[in-house]
Amino acid sequence: MTSRKLTINGVRRTVDASPGDTLLEVLRREGYVGVKKGCGSGDCGACTVLLDGRAVNACLVLTAKAEGKVIVTIEGLAKGDALHPIQAAFLDEGAVQCGYCTPGMVLSAYDLLSRNPAPSEGEIREAISGNLCRCTGYVKQIRAIQAAAEQMRGGRNG
Amino acid sequence: MAERTRESFVVVGQSVRKVDGVGLVKGKPKFVADVDLSNVLHIKILGSPHAHARIVRIDTSAAAQIPDVVAILTHENTPSTRHTTAGQGYPEPSPYDARMFDTKVRFIGDRVAAVAAETAAAAEEALRAIRVTYEQLPAVLSIDEARAEGAPVIHDEADSTGIYEAARNVVADVDIDVGDVERGFTESDVVIEATCETQYAQHTPVETHVVHSYLDSDDRLVLRTSTQVPFHVRRIVAQTLGIPIQRIRVIKPRVGGGFGTKQEVLLEDIAGWVTLQTGRAAFISLSRAEEFVAARTRHPMRVRVKLGAKKDGVLHAIEMEATSNTGAYGAHGLTVLANTGSKTLPLYNKAKNAHFYGQAVYTNLPVPGAYRGYGATQGYFPLETAMDELAERLGLDPIELRRRNHIRAGETSPIFEKLGEGREGVSQTVKSCELEQCIAVGAERIGWREKRGTQRREGPWVHGVGMSIMMQGSGIPQIDMAAATIKMNEDGSFNLLVGATDIGTGSDTILAQIAAEVLGVPVSRMIVTSSDTDLTPFDVGAYASSTTYVSGMAVQRAAEKVREQILSVAVPMLKASVEDLRLAGEHVVGSGGARVSLAEVCRRAMYSSDQFQIAATASCVPTESPPPFLANFAEVAVDLETGRVKVVHYVATVDCGVAINPLMAEGQMEGAIVNGIGYALSEEMLISSTGRVRNPSLFDYKIPGALDVPNLEVILVGSYEPTGPMGAKSVGEIGINGPIPTIANAIYDAVGIRLRRTPFTPERVLTALEGERRRKGER
Amino acid sequence: MEDVGLRHIQSIVRPTTADEAWRLRTADPETTRFLGGGIDLVLYTPETVTTLIDVSGLSRARVSAGRAGLAISAGMTLSAVLETPEIAAYVGGFLRDVLRQVASPLQRNVATIGGAAMRAHPWSDVVLALLVLDAEVEVFNGAARSVPAAEFYASRSQNVAPLVTGIRLPQRTPSTRGAFEKFVRTGFDVGLLNCACVVEVTKGVCSRVRVAVGGTPALARRLPDVEQVLEGRHLSSTTVGEVASLAARRVDARDDRRASESYRRKLTEVGVRRCLERLTGGGSEDAR
Repeated sequence: MTSRKLTINGVRRTVDASPGDTLLEVLRREGYVGVKKGCGSGDCGACTVLLDGRAVNACLVLTAKAEGKVIVTIEGLAKGDALHPIQAAFLDEGAVQCGYCTPGMVLSAYDLLSRNPAPSEGEIREAISGNLCRCTGYVKQIRAIQAAAEQMRGGRNG
Repeated sequence: MAERTRESFVVVGQSVRKVDGVGLVKGKPKFVADVDLSNVLHIKILGSPHAHARIVRIDTSAAAQIPDVVAILTHENTPSTRHTTAGQGYPEPSPYDARMFDTKVRFIGDRVAAVAAETAAAAEEALRAIRVTYEQLPAVLSIDEARAEGAPVIHDEADSTGIYEAARNVVADVDIDVGDVERGFTESDVVIEATCETQYAQHTPVETHVVHSYLDSDDRLVLRTSTQVPFHVRRIVAQTLGIPIQRIRVIKPRVGGGFGTKQEVLLEDIAGWVTLQTGRAAFISLSRAEEFVAARTRHPMRVRVKLGAKKDGVLHAIEMEATSNTGAYGAHGLTVLANTGSKTLPLYNKAKNAHFYGQAVYTNLPVPGAYRGYGATQGYFPLETAMDELAERLGLDPIELRRRNHIRAGETSPIFEKLGEGREGVSQTVKSCELEQCIAVGAERIGWREKRGTQRREGPWVHGVGMSIMMQGSGIPQIDMAAATIKMNEDGSFNLLVGATDIGTGSDTILAQIAAEVLGVPVSRMIVTSSDTDLTPFDVGAYASSTTYVSGMAVQRAAEKVREQILSVAVPMLKASVEDLRLAGEHVVGSGGARVSLAEVCRRAMYSSDQFQIAATASCVPTESPPPFLANFAEVAVDLETGRVKVVHYVATVDCGVAINPLMAEGQMEGAIVNGIGYALSEEMLISSTGRVRNPSLFDYKIPGALDVPNLEVILVGSYEPTGPMGAKSVGEIGINGPIPTIANAIYDAVGIRLRRTPFTPERVLTALEGERRRKGER
Repeated sequence: MEDVGLRHIQSIVRPTTADEAWRLRTADPETTRFLGGGIDLVLYTPETVTTLIDVSGLSRARVSAGRAGLAISAGMTLSAVLETPEIAAYVGGFLRDVLRQVASPLQRNVATIGGAAMRAHPWSDVVLALLVLDAEVEVFNGAARSVPAAEFYASRSQNVAPLVTGIRLPQRTPSTRGAFEKFVRTGFDVGLLNCACVVEVTKGVCSRVRVAVGGTPALARRLPDVEQVLEGRHLSSTTVGEVASLAARRVDARDDRRASESYRRKLTEVGVRRCLERLTGGGSEDAR
């Protein structure tokens, strides 16, 4: 085990990690259990986190590669009781069923909307194409991301 | 109190947020694996490398020497009780043909041994060090091989029970008759026959099977498990491990998807045994590859349907013959088979003559179990494609043929009584059915009249439209049981305790809505606790489309009892008679406008006069299983050059009674349909010639992603089911049955080929197209 | 192994020069691997490997434009490459459109262009694109050199594959067009087969024709016979049909669990034809 310095959700932390540990293993061990494991091979997207603002499969990233970068997990999105607009939209549009894919899906949407505030439906589909969901059929998730984008742009005329 | 109507609902019919939603979107620790696992034993299972073999010897001595290994489990040191892994009501209709660890392995991946170690790495290393000597046996790798004369006997052991004919590998046999089907065909003007085959497919919940076990401070075994059936888990683990039910507590936290695969007791016995033997907390989670190989699948089937109709387009005879591959163990073998007929044939009750015959057979292949749709999915493929053919032969629009034949409110079918969950069924009259309306609305939305038969070209793509209709059930009548407890707190809030099992479906929320409706409070005043065998009353669990209808009715009854208690306390407070009082807006309101808050009522009952706990428990055992109804319409485009099929537009119009939470009801439909589209087009477990799963990963087992979803419209066509809670029926399973026949019929409309085998992969479609071209060229 | 992680990795080293990286790698080939984005290492590293040599910091991640064309540093992620204006403008956005169909955004945000070029999975869309673009792979194996992609992939039998330090894309005329076709089972998938064509079309006449097919299921290869037939000819529908059917005969198609040989031949014909038809329609287009 080596101690490594990671910035997680705005907090600088020193964590113990073996050189071969993936970010998924380390984050879950450190209590960021909103980072889910669904396959361990980058095929499902349940472990999505933001690395320097970009959504990545935490199961495919060696922890050593995250040093010096900014990590955001689902736990870092809401400000206290105030949900991020994407999180709120997921609830209001019925986009959450079992909730296991939700953190990853929300973070992929976050990455998209931070670069593209007014995405087309096709761009939304592409942005979440690596996040598999078996419950919802994606319809309400796509709608939630559209609603969140509108909300974040500042309402209907934004 | 006035009769409840759809118009009078305040909370029911509203798309309120999920009661557990905020925690889920924040990534709070809600799932089995989301606890501190730093001091647990990690369990790993050794799977069989052979499809069929006897275990001659297991040498664990080297494995036991590996540091950090704490326990090694084999057939030599674990209980040998035969049981079924199927989490069904007791006595289960599935055979007792499984052991924790057996002396024989029956499919590649079947359990041979398990290791519990301080680290996952040590457990893996120990698995590699276990030396097993096998005596390989000839394997049975298809339903035809299973039924062949002199086939190897897969369950030749003496102590298994409940198998129909073990010596012939037949798990179950169902045969029911209505009228005289042979005469029916003779009397028919047109007879159509179709045989369809469905593939091995998997549920693939994003969370695999996972269990965390420990002893509490009184040495009771606690199993936190991702299950659909916590009470069945408790009973079956007690039976398997030979310990009293009383010693086990099963807790179901949030579940990351089930779809039937978690209606199975797969890992709880191993985790429980490790914890009982070592006194240590234990954790087991299937890897994605293990989930594919050793968890459950849908039953592959070959189903033949024969339809006879008179010239007027009224069905006169229906025959369905199903052969189901139930893999190495018989879990759900009988009941899935029976449902293939019982959930399909009553739809066409105009046919006076009907015959259903089926067998489920063992093979040395992965083990099917419960999967959303539960046999109906396999049955509707041939039934609804044969209806399409029949319409063509009769020169009728497929919609018109359905209209002349489908069941309606006020009607019954003899099948309801003849065929149930692996035994006789329960007779019933359909009381709510808006199928006609579903068909009309769906046809309009898809543009049926304009598009049908036009074969619109767009480069290499040819468009077509197809449709199908279907029904399911709402729970298992006279078998399922659900109970709910409601108790009141002195701030006017309520605890709702239900055995019902929310696996992501939103049942905690809709059950809270039903209670809140009765009690005149917003959902935010309900505190829901579900699926903890120590705290909540019994419920069979989440399967058979039962939760809304059965558990919902238990909740409604419990709420009504609590309501009566509240009113009785309020009578002296408001000096009014009970008949004049109602609950609304968190108050008891009198006819003259006088009111008292629920908090005041509860404080009086708790602290002041005639003190008692306002609380009630109620149960529901349904006496019927009202079917939800669904009309499916799809527009597809077929690439003539590559065979790729794209679903362009899919309209599903469903009658699920009153939707307690419309967004959630739509969500159930959308998820089921997209899963069904994957089942129709891309999902297939490929099995090698030795019985090995060749694509045990999401990299190569292709489930739909966001790029694959068509323009998907779900339309709730309301009805009011008088026997249901707040007019509700079920909506959980029915949607998954739609895509296969609907897409198959749309492909026929586009390019004139009838596909009989799923999935409709590009290569299969192209091969069929070329066959058709050759056939036409020869003429 | 997905549960146990890469327990065998004992250290990750960060050399500052290609020379140092190469020396570390060749000193003990069995126990070392180059680390770029890391995806393939996480998924496929043999247990003999104990040391990872992180080469992602050897040069600044960027696309630089010069007279000879574009130079992409190996450490750039696929997302970063496809989002660069230079790449969007290059051959009508051909490479951008290819990269947009590689895996998922989650993987494109990690995978590097150097890693993709070096790993060269048989279904690789990236390798296919490099072949038809006449790209050069910048490598270091004791000395720095630039190898044409075709040569690089034809001669990949050395014990230790050289370190890929960058990709060079030659300067192309404005009349250069490219098209890509990938046949998938779902939107997030590797191709059952992929193919691409890049052609200079001057007054309707083709020159510098490149046609390649990949995922056959083997790694992409150019089809020189097919290219030759098209060279100097007009892209008439007869020519396109002729060329496509020749491609179907020449492609080295085989069976695997994803598709049969005969189906792959058919896909080759359809794919090559569609690519060429798209070329005559101008620029490349988004296949999604």
